Amino acid sequence: MANILTLNNVSYAYEGASKNVLQGMSADFETGRVYTIIGKSGAGKSTLLSLLSGLDVTTNGAILFDDKNLKKLCRDTYRAQQVGVIFQSYNLLTNATAVQNIVLSMNISESPERDKKAFAYALLAKVGIDSETADRKILKLSGGEQQRVAIARALAHNPAILIADEPTGNLDKDTEDDILHIFTKLAHEENRCVIIVTHSKRVTAIADVVYRLKDGRLAVV
Amino acid sequence: MYIFQNAMQNLLRNKGRNLMTAAIIFVVIVSSVVALMIYNTSNGVINDYKSRFGSEVSLTPNMEKIIEATQTTGALVRPTIPAEQLIAFADSEHLLSANLAASGKGWSDDLKAIDGEKGGGGGPMLSAGPGGGPANMPDGMPELRQYFFRLLANQYDDFENGNRELTEGSAFPEKPGECLISQELLENSGLKIGDTIVMNSDLINPGSGPGDESYHDIVFRLTIVGTYLDLTDEYANSMMENAFSNRRNEVFMYFNDLASEVKEGLMGIDVGATYYLKSPELLSAFTAELRAKGLEDVFDVTTNEASYQAIVGPVEAMRGISLTFVIIVLIFGAIIIALLSSLAVRERKYEIGVLRAMGMKKGKVALGLWAETLTITALCLVLGLAVGGLAAQPVTNLLLNQQVEAAEQAQAAATPDPPGAVTVQGGGPQGVGGPIMIGGPIAGFIGQSSAEKITNIDVGIGLNTVVQIIVIALLLTSIAGLIATRQITKYEPMKILMERN
Ligand SMILES: Nc1ncnc2c1ncn2[C@@H]1O[C@H](COP(=O)(O)OP(=O)(O)OP(=O)(O)O)[C@@H](O)[C@H]1O
Ligand SMILES: [Mg+2]
Repeated sequence: MANILTLNNVSYAYEGASKNVLQGMSADFETGRVYTIIGKSGAGKSTLLSLLSGLDVTTNGAILFDDKNLKKLCRDTYRAQQVGVIFQSYNLLTNATAVQNIVLSMNISESPERDKKAFAYALLAKVGIDSETADRKILKLSGGEQQRVAIARALAHNPAILIADEPTGNLDKDTEDDILHIFTKLAHEENRCVIIVTHSKRVTAIADVVYRLKDGRLAVV
Repeated sequence: MYIFQNAMQNLLRNKGRNLMTAAIIFVVIVSSVVALMIYNTSNGVINDYKSRFGSEVSLTPNMEKIIEATQTTGALVRPTIPAEQLIAFADSEHLLSANLAASGKGWSDDLKAIDGEKGGGGGPMLSAGPGGGPANMPDGMPELRQYFFRLLANQYDDFENGNRELTEGSAFPEKPGECLISQELLENSGLKIGDTIVMNSDLINPGSGPGDESYHDIVFRLTIVGTYLDLTDEYANSMMENAFSNRRNEVFMYFNDLASEVKEGLMGIDVGATYYLKSPELLSAFTAELRAKGLEDVFDVTTNEASYQAIVGPVEAMRGISLTFVIIVLIFGAIIIALLSSLAVRERKYEIGVLRAMGMKKGKVALGLWAETLTITALCLVLGLAVGGLAAQPVTNLLLNQQVEAAEQAQAAATPDPPGAVTVQGGGPQGVGGPIMIGGPIAGFIGQSSAEKITNIDVGIGLNTVVQIIVIALLLTSIAGLIATRQITKYEPMKILMERN
C-alpha cells in the first residue's frame, strides 16, 4: 500500500477568522483503503475535504499528493483528473441534465472514453438512475437522486482518490448499501483511495480506517 | 471542442436571459449598421464629388483696389491677366485639374458661312451695315471688320450636356492645325473631312478709341478632322441673327494654336481658365504660387466655397451625424455589453464555481462564456445586417432631406443666389470680343458647376461596411470576454461554492 495523500502539520484558518479550524494536523491516506472521518458538526470535516480535493490550500504545513506538494501542482488538473468529489451540497449544474453533468465532467478531465454519453447512462444506472431520470434537469430531481448523480459524477473519470462529504445522507438503506458496495469495490478491487466524511454508523462500518476530527487534528479511532 | 458544445447547450438552457442579451446586441448592431452604411456612403459621395469637381478657383478683380489704383495713377486701370500667365497658372501641383479655353473670331474664303447673307458680326462697332466684311472695306475709311466664324478651343460643354455630338469618325482637335466644324458648315462649303482650309483672324489694337483701331492679321491653316451636329437652336446664344452668332459657324481649334497668337495689349483672342484645387485648404498655397508667377495684386483668388457647401454640405453634415452616431453607439454598446457580461458572470457565479470545482481552467470557463456571447452576436449580426440594410435607406432619406432643407435655409439667408451659381468674370454670352477680358472663365467653359445638388443617395451595404461591423462586433464581444475573464480570475471555486452553501 502506497501513501497517496500525506498531511504534514497542516493548519487552516478561514480568511478573517481568528481561530484555526485545522491545527497541526498530520495523517496518511493510502490507496486501496476506505477511510471515514467522523467528528462533531463544525469540527472542520468539510474544510479538510476542500483542502484534500485541491479547492483550497493550507494556511500552514503541506499536503503531499504522490509526494508532490499540492500547493505547487496545477490544482485544476489535479481536481479534474485525480480526485472525484461528492459535495455535501452536491454542486451540480442545476440547469443541465444528469447526463450532461457527467459528460461535461468527463470532458473536463479529458476522459479517453469514446462514447461518453453511453458511459454516463451506464454509470447512472449503476447508482440507480434510469435513463428517463438521467435526461431530466438536476432541478427536477429529488434530493436522493441528486446525491446519486453527484456520486456518479465523482466516479465518471475514474479518479485515484474519491472524496465524499456525507454521501448517503439522503438515501434509503438499500440504495445506501449499493453505494457503499461501490465504494468498497473501488478501494479493494481497483486500488483507489476512498475518503468519506460521515455521521452514519453504517458507513463507518465499511471503513478500513476511521479518523476522528477533533480540536483541529485527526486521530485514528 | 466540448467548451463550444457546452456553450451552445447553455444558450438553449437560458433562453430568457440570452434573448434579452440578444435584443440589446441586436439594437447596437442595427444602429451601427445603419450609421456605418450612411457614413461610408456619404464618405464615398463626398470623395467622389471632391475628385470629380475639385474646388473651383476664381480670379476676380477687386473693385476697391481698381478704384484706388485709378485714383493714384490718374489713368483707367483695366486689369487683365495675360494669357501666358493663365496658361502658366494651370501648371500647379495644387490643382486637380485646370481647364484652359480660348476664343477668337475669324473669316475664311474656303468656308461658306451658314446665314452668310445675314452678314457677319463681332466687330468692335456692331452698327456696321450688312454685307460688310474684311474683304470689301472702303478705302480710306477706318476698317470696320466683321467676322463670320467664332473660333473656340477647349469649350466642349455642349458636347458634355448633349447639345452637340460628334458625327461618326470625327474627333476633337488634338494637334496643331486641326479643327472641328459643324456638319452643316461642311456641307454648305462643299468640303469633306480631311480637307484643309485657310482661316483668317486678327488682333485689334484699340488705339485711342473708335476710328483709331489697327489690326494684326493672323492666318491659320486648318485640317478638318471632324464635324459635329448641333442639336439646339442656331441662335440660342444671341439676340442678333448673323453668321457670326450662328452656332453652326463655330469652329473648334487646337488650344495652343489660338493661345499662342495672343499679344499683350491687343484684343481679339481671349484665353480663359478654370482651376480646380485638389482641396479647398490649398487655396493660400495656390494663391502664393500665382503671385509668384506674376498675378497682379488687384486680383483676388477665391474658391467657390458656397457652391461646394451647397452641393456637398448636406452630405458632409450627414456624414458627421452618422459618425457621431457610430461613436455614441459604440461607446454605449461597449458599456452595455460590459455591464451585461459582468452581470452574467455574477449571476452565473455558482455555475462557474461548479465548473472550476470540476477542474475546468479559468481560461476555458471564460472561453465558454465568450463563445456564448460570440454566438449571440453572430446571430444578431446576420439579422442586424439584414434589418439595418433595410432601415438605412429610409433613415438616409430622412437625414439628407433635413440637411438639404437646413442648407437651403442657410443659403437663402446668406445670398439671394441659387446654390451652385457660378462666379463668372469676363465674357458672358456677349463676352467674346468684349472690350475687357479679365481672365476669369469664359461662360460656357467646361466643368462649370455641372455638379448638381445631392438630394438623393442610394445607400447599400458595401464590403467595407460588413467588414467594419464584423470588426466592431468582435471588438464588443472581446470586451465582454475580457471583463468576464477578469472577473472569473478573481473567483476561487471554493469561495463561490461556500457562498452558495
Ligand atoms: N467561509 C467560512 N468562513 C469562516 N468560517 C467558516 C467558513 N466556512 C466554515 N467556517 C467555520 O469553520 C468551521 C468548520 O466548518 P466545516 O464546514 O468544515 O464543518 P463540518 O465539520 O463540515 O460541519 P458539518 O458536520 O456541520 O458539515 C465551522 O466552525 C464553520 O463555522
Ligand atoms: Mg460539513
